[in-house]
Amino acid sequence: MSTNNLKLIENPKGKFNTYLGLGIAAVGIIVLLLAPGFLTQYYVYLLATVFTTALLATSLNLVLGYGGLLHLHHGVFFGVGAYTVAIVTTKTSWPFAVAVLLAPLVAALIALVIGWFCVRLRGLYFGMLTLALGQLVWAIVYRWNALTNGDNGIHAIPVPEFLTSINSVYYATLLILVISLIILYIITKSPFGLMLLATRDNPVRSESVGVNVKRHRLTAFVIAGFFAGIAGVLFVLVERSVAPSLLFWSESAEVLIMCLMGGLTVFMGPMLGAGILVLLSMVVGLYTEYWLLVLGLLLLLLVLFLPQGILGYLMEIYNKSQDKRGGN
Amino acid sequence: MDFATLASQFFIGLSRGMIFFIVSAGLTLIFGVLRITNFAHGALYMLGAFMAYSVSTLFGQGPYGFWLALLVAPIAVMFISLVIERGLLRFIYNRDHLIQMLLTYSLVLIAGDLVKIIWGTEYKSMHIPEALRGSFNLWGASLPWYNAFLLVVGPVVALGLWFFLSKTNLGKICRATATDREMVDVLGINSTKVFAMVFALGGWLAGLGGALIAPTTTISMGMDASIIIYAFLIVVVGGLGNIWGALISSIIMGVGEAFGILFIPGVAIIIPYIIAGVLLILRPSGLLKSAW
Amino acid sequence: MLQVEQLKKSFDGFQAISDANLLVPKGEVVAVIGPNGAGKSTLFNLITGHLQADSGHIRFQGKEITSMAPYKICHRGMARSFQLINIFSSLTVFENVQASVIAKHRLDQNFFRPAKKLFIEETLEILDSFGLFDFKDRSCSALSYGDQKVLEIAIALGSKPELLLLDEPTAGMSSEETRRIVNLIKHLSREKGLTILLTEHDMELVFDVAQKIMVLHQGKTIAQGLPQDIRNDKSVQNAYLGETG
Repeated sequence: MSTNNLKLIENPKGKFNTYLGLGIAAVGIIVLLLAPGFLTQYYVYLLATVFTTALLATSLNLVLGYGGLLHLHHGVFFGVGAYTVAIVTTKTSWPFAVAVLLAPLVAALIALVIGWFCVRLRGLYFGMLTLALGQLVWAIVYRWNALTNGDNGIHAIPVPEFLTSINSVYYATLLILVISLIILYIITKSPFGLMLLATRDNPVRSESVGVNVKRHRLTAFVIAGFFAGIAGVLFVLVERSVAPSLLFWSESAEVLIMCLMGGLTVFMGPMLGAGILVLLSMVVGLYTEYWLLVLGLLLLLLVLFLPQGILGYLMEIYNKSQDKRGGN
Repeated sequence: MDFATLASQFFIGLSRGMIFFIVSAGLTLIFGVLRITNFAHGALYMLGAFMAYSVSTLFGQGPYGFWLALLVAPIAVMFISLVIERGLLRFIYNRDHLIQMLLTYSLVLIAGDLVKIIWGTEYKSMHIPEALRGSFNLWGASLPWYNAFLLVVGPVVALGLWFFLSKTNLGKICRATATDREMVDVLGINSTKVFAMVFALGGWLAGLGGALIAPTTTISMGMDASIIIYAFLIVVVGGLGNIWGALISSIIMGVGEAFGILFIPGVAIIIPYIIAGVLLILRPSGLLKSAW
Repeated sequence: MLQVEQLKKSFDGFQAISDANLLVPKGEVVAVIGPNGAGKSTLFNLITGHLQADSGHIRFQGKEITSMAPYKICHRGMARSFQLINIFSSLTVFENVQASVIAKHRLDQNFFRPAKKLFIEETLEILDSFGLFDFKDRSCSALSYGDQKVLEIAIALGSKPELLLLDEPTAGMSSEETRRIVNLIKHLSREKGLTILLTEHDMELVFDVAQKIMVLHQGKTIAQGLPQDIRNDKSVQNAYLGETG
């Protein structure tokens, strides 16, 4: 039976030292906590955008890298989360907190509906159905003027007083990002995460050791949708506006590129990819209007020469050096 | 709603289905033989349209311009495809779907900006040749001559593909490769050559689709993004690699979209996605037997 | 324990299984033999739910399991190994078996316990009894072919089955490795009291370990009984001779 699943690298888990990893994370967080003190507002805003995108990419990777599923349209759940906040705050009198809580739930619900159909299919067919159903959601958002304001989008979304300065938005997004990442990390290390890797490697075998593979994949899909919804909330906090282009497939393609660039097989990979792409697009934008050309060339090089991604590559080198030291 | 309106909308949808077919036939052929998910197919279609515009403009948008554009643009796109296949694709044939997809996606990004650099950002339009202007009466409804022309071109292309695939040696090898690649390798057939030719043929079809659509629409950046999704849906719904499946689903999509515009104009945009979603749920592996 | 009655299955008009019957009593080792293409693997796939039967019945511990999903059948106490290596290629040897143990305990949908610390003893015990203990932290794709075949069975054991199906457990193995498998089967049967159903090409092995043999020929059960009866059965001899001659 051919499964057409992603099999990028044989060993997904580096023997990376846990304490070293925690140390790096701690130093990173401290630097980020101090950052607004010596950065201009624009860079603070840019970093908050990085946080948003990093969460989106990491949530996609649960399905893509860990689950091995060709999920081509993750941006939909991001967009749904963002639109939920926008619609609840502008069309109802419910408190802002309700909007924030509702957003990931609605995103997860949409993920449940889309995923319910998709998990029956394998390989490319799975990918194409995510694309078809995702574009369907986009088309609805694009056309449902009464609810979503159509292709104009929704602007000047009201946020609570304490979230009006860019510094407070920065800390809020950082806090939510860190909490979400911790939860996602725990999930990848849980029995669920281990079985997700098993279903990626060998769905047939997983089924015969007693795992309901479809349900397992659906669960991963919904969790990913939930966290994409949270990323959508962060987006609204940072931008205070939404537009249907958030849900268009080319946005999702960019998130896929981020995952690939950082490394699909490393937990931190997509985050690194998100950081690089967001910052690079800003820097390149200073010099030329042809950012997509640059991105295209970069992607081309990446695919041809570094398909395991930056962190994936570093992990390979690290593992090799460890093996040598171990005398193997 | 009278019968005439329905009939004319049906034929307009059918003619649009012909464009879908020409584009997606190339995509599905590449799928079947090369096992590549070619996102750049939409970009090749866009290049076909822009080149047709340039050729036609070179001749002052005169009567010969269109026919020459129809001849030259697809061939130019075919050569570009050949360069892409020999220069890039052949290095990733054994790689994962995601990697292949993203390589072709990088070409989409590059092609988009190159078009912007070469042709600028303003909208282009191309004249319909004199002979195909206007419309004629069909059961009381008017059908544009150009749509009727598409209704002729579509079947001609389908017939040509059928002839190629079932009567020529190369075509038979293509079919064999699509169903059983190992056998072809065992027989010692040079699959490198087959791959290159199939990708070039696919490119030619994309270019032809672009050239044919050019006179009926504004030629602009971004025309690749919508067609490629449609084409992918058509190809998957039809059964990956199956040209006749692509023909059937192209017609379903084209006609479905046309009736959507007629009955629910505001939300017609969602029709193709609904059709594709429903068909994929009903027949998860495509309408016709997939070549995989 | 397992009962197969008048099972039928065809693919695109080809009748792969036309009339298969099988009885596996509790505690015994039963072998299904037959010439190449007799439908042995298809029969196994039907029993474990990887294929859906056209008609007929499969009963396990008195209950109908025909065309049930593989994961449900597994939870009822039936586990299998595959003819081709079918392991979790990116996991370590330990995790391969542990994954199976986790699924057995129905913790595969648990999100918040570190997987690393689960069922360590249970997993190590299985690895130890299969002689894989020393490789536990290796990536399973780094194992030799023989060890991978053994791991293949170890994964099945992780499900703590009452009935174990082994599809050609020694396919492609050296005679030394085959000995190892024979000893393993005997150990599982005698010390662990497992009921075992296996297919095998190696007749020496079959007559060594099996208490009962079923012969499948062109999708049909042509004989079933004790090894000595099968050895003397005319129709069985014809089936095998007919193939080679």
